[in-house]
Amino acid sequence: MAGSGPGKALPVRRRRRRHSQWRGLLYIAPAMALVIVFFVMPVLFTGWMSLHNWPLLGSPRWIGFNNYFRMANDGRFVSALRFTTYYTVIVTIAIFAVAFPLAIFVERHRRFVGAYRTIIFLPVVVGLASASLLWVWLANVDSGFIGPALKALGLVEKSPNLLATFDSAFFTIIVMVVWKIAGFTMIILLTGLQAIPSELTEAARIDGAGRWQRFRYLTLPLMRRTIALALIISVTGSILAFDQFYIMTSGGPQNRMISVVYYIFNQSFVSFNLGYGAALSIALLAILVIISVMQLRLLRVGEDRP
Amino acid sequence: MIKRLLAATSIITLCLASGASAAEKIEMWVRSGIGESFKKVVEAYNASHENQVAMTEVPFSELVQKYATAIAGGQAPDALSLDLIYTPAFAAAGQLEDLTDWAKALPYFNSLSPSHVKLGTYQDRIYGLPLSVETSIFAWNKDLYKKAGLDPEKAPTTWEEIEANAEKIRALGDDIYGFYFSGGGCGGCMIFTFTPLVWGSGADILSSDGKKATLDTPEMRKAVDIYRSMVKKDLVPASSASDNGVNFLTFTNGKIGQQSIGAFAIGTLVTENPDINFGVTLIPGVNGGTSSFAGGDNFVITKGTKKIDAVKEFLEYTYSMDGQKVMAKYGSLPTRGDIADKVLEGLDPRMQVGIKAIEVAKTPYTLQFNDLINSANGPWATFTNAAIYGDDVDGAFSNAQSEMQSIIDTGQ
Repeated sequence: MAGSGPGKALPVRRRRRRHSQWRGLLYIAPAMALVIVFFVMPVLFTGWMSLHNWPLLGSPRWIGFNNYFRMANDGRFVSALRFTTYYTVIVTIAIFAVAFPLAIFVERHRRFVGAYRTIIFLPVVVGLASASLLWVWLANVDSGFIGPALKALGLVEKSPNLLATFDSAFFTIIVMVVWKIAGFTMIILLTGLQAIPSELTEAARIDGAGRWQRFRYLTLPLMRRTIALALIISVTGSILAFDQFYIMTSGGPQNRMISVVYYIFNQSFVSFNLGYGAALSIALLAILVIISVMQLRLLRVGEDRP
Repeated sequence: MIKRLLAATSIITLCLASGASAAEKIEMWVRSGIGESFKKVVEAYNASHENQVAMTEVPFSELVQKYATAIAGGQAPDALSLDLIYTPAFAAAGQLEDLTDWAKALPYFNSLSPSHVKLGTYQDRIYGLPLSVETSIFAWNKDLYKKAGLDPEKAPTTWEEIEANAEKIRALGDDIYGFYFSGGGCGGCMIFTFTPLVWGSGADILSSDGKKATLDTPEMRKAVDIYRSMVKKDLVPASSASDNGVNFLTFTNGKIGQQSIGAFAIGTLVTENPDINFGVTLIPGVNGGTSSFAGGDNFVITKGTKKIDAVKEFLEYTYSMDGQKVMAKYGSLPTRGDIADKVLEGLDPRMQVGIKAIEVAKTPYTLQFNDLINSANGPWATFTNAAIYGDDVDGAFSNAQSEMQSIIDTGQ
């Protein structure tokens, strides 16, 4: 947009600006229509539903904010929140711990780098549900791969049932998700790495900065926005996790892997409380917005516009 | 000549057109895991009738929510084979066609399986009629019994005996196990096969009016101990700890010595795994007695379907001698008491055990069956896994007891 200049030219400019504003609106109209039809209206409707006792069968009844009061005393919702937080923290750290070194690895020009990138990225194009099913088989105690392989190598006496206890099942799911997602995070980080001008690295090297110093004081600050993007995608995705728990452990040994979305699903489509499910969804939406805003603040994205 | 040709073609067209319009296509859903009997009766019906039934199989754990969402979205099938314990809930929601007058006019109405009709009745109107009857029974593999030096013709009568037999069978080899159950949080499997242990000895998990959870009884403690002990002694495959019902019929692989299964499985075993030589008996209670879970499906019709006459014709066919015979051959017990003996004539004698189980069998009547028992994340499913595989049995009992009670209370 043109900067507003003082002087006589103002009326003409304003008219032109108004004109171009209309045109801009026209350009974004299709996108706006999509957002309104597929996001704003469903959210408003969900909010409306959350104020009712809305069974899947039968007619809804207005109950005001009772669903929200119920949420405050709902122990299972609290434990779902706790588990989701735990999962999000662990899996995000794990994804970054794997994706960052991979991004640095494939950024350099070396032989077969294209092949490496492709191989690491391949699991990303597998659907999460298919990947979960694949890993259910891999983790199968008798006919799978991991357990029998450990036994064949003589590391364990008896093939372990990985999905039977919380710790091993959780670990299996984390490994699966990292295998599936790390490639995507790697690509995002890679674009950030490649955007750093090589002159800067060169200059730092001439000034005598070591490998770690260059990473800490040059690479990391310059990648802040890329990291913010990858972080928000990863955190949001983890908070919304559902498929892997539903498919791989059906909520885990003794219900210990019920994520928030899983709980919403159960309330809505197993217990048929659509109204309460809607209230939980609104609460989750609020939580996600708050977390995303906090992340952007912490990483100070948007303030340092050049 | 041309006139005649025209006449001929128009007559043919007319025949085709009228034929097409007279034949109805009924959409029908059935849950998975109930064996072949329903599929076969649909095949037999389609082969002999003008109306056709298009059957869709839905995973048993998702049938209720799929049907409920389909009704809400106006996409429901014309008829459904509904797990009988859900009939009260759906009838109460006003989504099913009232069949009372038609049903009472059937000449054999009084000999239809009484527990099915009872669960199909809501406020004195009938919404569901029996489609398939199944009971839980105890099966043992006679070949493995023989190899382990046990008498293959002698049915075990106590759980001490079952455990001792299991130990001998386990000694046969690395991949041969003495016992199996789907213990990975499969509420439906465990209510079907595990509660008979306490029912047989007079205890129950719900009070008779369904208003109180009575999980923590000495009988249940004992039943849990028996299963725990077999797991601890490695008599049960490790895969059972995470089996959510997908491998309920592991017995059919021939490497399991003993397992509580359903009468449907008799048909499956006889027709699809004829090489497995097995015996069946009633499930013993922990302190003597026997019991069983009377399950199966009710036939319900979605309210407002336009094909109600065709649907009724199909149901009458399944109640006919031919239909009953086809279903019995693949493991569904006869739904009509008056011709049960004739239907079972010439069929596998082990089916008689399934019939005998009806006399001692129970079916819980509660509108909250899904929340309490069947849901993979409900208190019963969680309890069975935690109590049998977990480290804290007391905690499993008290958690499940209080959660069941709170679900019952909030549902009032």
